[in-house]
Amino acid sequence: MERPDLTDALGRLLGPAEPEIGCDECFELLDRYVELELAGADADAAVPGLRAHLSGCPACREEHESLRALVGGEPPA
Amino acid sequence: MTAATLPSVSTMPPASGELTESGLDEESREWLRGLHAEGSAREDAIARLHGLLVRAASFEVARRRPSLPHLRGNDLDDIAHQAADDALVSVLRRLDDYRGDSRFTTWVYKFALLEAAVKLRTRSWQGREVPLEPESWTVFSSTGLEPDEELEQAELLARLQRAVADILTPHQRTVLVALALNGVPIDVLAERLGTTRGALYKALHDARRKLRSHLEEE
Repeated sequence: MERPDLTDALGRLLGPAEPEIGCDECFELLDRYVELELAGADADAAVPGLRAHLSGCPACREEHESLRALVGGEPPA
Repeated sequence: MTAATLPSVSTMPPASGELTESGLDEESREWLRGLHAEGSAREDAIARLHGLLVRAASFEVARRRPSLPHLRGNDLDDIAHQAADDALVSVLRRLDDYRGDSRFTTWVYKFALLEAAVKLRTRSWQGREVPLEPESWTVFSSTGLEPDEELEQAELLARLQRAVADILTPHQRTVLVALALNGVPIDVLAERLGTTRGALYKALHDARRKLRSHLEEE
């Protein structure tokens, strides 16, 4: 079995250093954030704290990637 | 799919205040008109909405399929349809929360993606023990690191391990170890502990903040 990476493990344990929003707020703001991203706008300035949350929360990160792919017209896999 | 085969939802329009339609694109306005209509017009809109949600949930299932080899095609179809049904109930319940910050379809997609993702994560952990004790403090790979970097990170990990034992509350320790060290999905842990994803992330966030400030003070 492949061993987990030490650097990744430290990142998961310590999480993002920047201020971040929580999972519920992330869900509320995700649609706006994704549309801004796809439009080439500065989504991180418009929705502060969401990017940091995505780096600290694998579940919200997956859902962000999926919504971005779906709205952006990417194939599912 | 016809409205007759949809999950049970009220056919009464929601008790809505005035729709704030200014600034909305025409397609989003059309969705809101249909879903705030009465009778067959609303039922038609709900049936179309359900179709949209099935599409989004199926998209999520297809994306995750490679990581779920033990699930068969029928199981995956069932998950997509259950996710769409649950998302439909959520969307109709929360219709008045839509403020037009995105297109209506983008807003509803996220409900289907969330439901499908949660169901897939839960299914993939079905019948598995959820590890709440540290399993892997000493088994990390440090491929690609210079020897001095590897030593530095190993020392940081050892300090973290002591801090986790010394300064976190039992609940914070359980949440941090399960989520960040053992890789338990947050929805799975929330279900096992009888709490919510938001509450668990708050505990994780507080634990991480404590650890960071402890390391800075050391």
